[in-house]
Amino acid sequence: MDLISIANAVINGVVIGMLLALPALAITLVFGIARFPNAATGDYMTLGAYTTMASQLVLGGSIVAAVLAAMTATAAISLLMYFWVFRALSERSHVSRLIASIGVAFAVRSTITFFAGQDQYVIDVPLVRAWNFGGLRILPTDLYIVGAALTALFVVFFIMYLTPTGRRMRAIADSAELAAASGIRARRVMIFLWTIAGAFCGLGGALLGIKAVVLPELGWELLMPMFAGVILGGIGSPVGAVLGIVTFSIAQEVASLYVGPAYKIVLAFFILLVVLLLRPQGMLGRPIAAR
Amino acid sequence: MEGYFIAIAISVLVYLLMASGLALQYGFTGLVNFGHVGFFAIGSYASALLALKGVPVPVSLAAAALLAALAAYPIGIIALRLGGDYLAIVTLGFSEAVRMTLQTEEWLTRGMHGLPGIPRLFAGWVEPRYIDLCILLLLVVVCVAVFFAIHQIIKSPFGRVIEAIRDNEVAVRALGKNPAQFKTRSLMIGAGIAGLAGGLQAHYLTFISPEQYVPLITFYIWIAIVLGGVGSLRGVVMGTVLLVGFLEGSRFLRDIFTGISEVQLASVRIWIIGMALICVVLYRPQGLFGKSAERKH
Repeated sequence: MDLISIANAVINGVVIGMLLALPALAITLVFGIARFPNAATGDYMTLGAYTTMASQLVLGGSIVAAVLAAMTATAAISLLMYFWVFRALSERSHVSRLIASIGVAFAVRSTITFFAGQDQYVIDVPLVRAWNFGGLRILPTDLYIVGAALTALFVVFFIMYLTPTGRRMRAIADSAELAAASGIRARRVMIFLWTIAGAFCGLGGALLGIKAVVLPELGWELLMPMFAGVILGGIGSPVGAVLGIVTFSIAQEVASLYVGPAYKIVLAFFILLVVLLLRPQGMLGRPIAAR
Repeated sequence: MEGYFIAIAISVLVYLLMASGLALQYGFTGLVNFGHVGFFAIGSYASALLALKGVPVPVSLAAAALLAALAAYPIGIIALRLGGDYLAIVTLGFSEAVRMTLQTEEWLTRGMHGLPGIPRLFAGWVEPRYIDLCILLLLVVVCVAVFFAIHQIIKSPFGRVIEAIRDNEVAVRALGKNPAQFKTRSLMIGAGIAGLAGGLQAHYLTFISPEQYVPLITFYIWIAIVLGGVGSLRGVVMGTVLLVGFLEGSRFLRDIFTGISEVQLASVRIWIIGMALICVVLYRPQGLFGKSAERKH
């Protein structure tokens, strides 16, 4: 394999990794604060991609407005599911929330296929030529995608580490009982958490829909790679989630050159096994052997 | 009409076999296996491929169960040292990895074209028109044997340990037992049962292809045991009958709602499964027939 192809795969991996960092961050925050791996994350992304496409049809073309509408829609669904399902289950075992999240995943995806069918769709964006630097190809669309993802990540990290809301979130992630004892109202933090989680999944799904095609399985198929990336970075650690998923995506894109794209999920599975075998706490996480 | 009932009964029994494996893992040991269909797929393909190579069907079925159980071993070793959530993620990844491999390795599995011409059970032993009935009887025998075996396992010292792990892992560890070892064994037995179910189904259908092994099947089994009541064998039977009743019954929905397409009907079906998972967990955690209160972790 020549160097240029590898470099292009790395660039592609960075773009996909930055984009997947948004839902990966949602996974890790939900895991750290609501304490379960949310299997509906992928399908919230799918919802984001479809609502972007649908609102583009309704609103007439403006891609920015469509993406914002999609983020609002996924945040609303995410909040709805919190109030209906996950709030009621918050005192019960994490397994119950995990099983319920599978139910949410199926309910969301089947609602989409009921209205949109199994066909592929594309989100309408202006076609642009890639810039070519002696073989290195960079798509301007990819730059917009990375820009949007970076902005969103900056906002959430700013909130997490520099505002009172963020401090409360981190307190609850550390110890829910201690946080409650210090008078932190969990309810508000949860509302904020699920809004962010929904909006980020929506944005990630919309950006992926712009980069690739919109399919009913779009998000579900990424669930494994995202979990693998999050665990690689250290589950529960926000910075780890971003680092982990970007590292993972680069590895995946480069490896696809050698084994073919069909093996992406298989590769994700093996990376996951190796991480769990050698370093279950991931790059930045704390060991959580027996939760 | 008779044939239709036999087909449905076979379908119930295959699901029941799978469900009993998951009941041992989740209901009695507390293991969250989200990749049950992966072990089922391994059993199907292993038995089918061996039989196509000329291996006698009883031997290929045994090999299918054994291979599926062995596939669970590394997963158990790696994931079960860690918390329960990891097992859920790893098994889900496992079943998808199996499906993708079956789809891609065409030299072995013919990929998406599927494997046709798998030898039928009892072919050449009984008259063709009685074959389905014989398969049904065989499945009844296998199910009864598996249920009896699980019952014996639960009553044995091993069974008391796995139930204790489900209820309080720390206490088990304090007694000097290694929970991971017991959990791995439970995972392997359950996977072996799923493999056997897969093999039996392959020799009944005579055609298999990777798209029969989507994660949805795993969650069909989950809804069956959650609906029936976790930790009760009677609940597993009731849950499975309800599940297959729903899956078969929903085919006739199109006769009532005429304006609905095939894709939409499939969506409605999955929507109901998803909603049922949510609602049972929310409103009836002990299942329709279960007795035990929800345990806390």
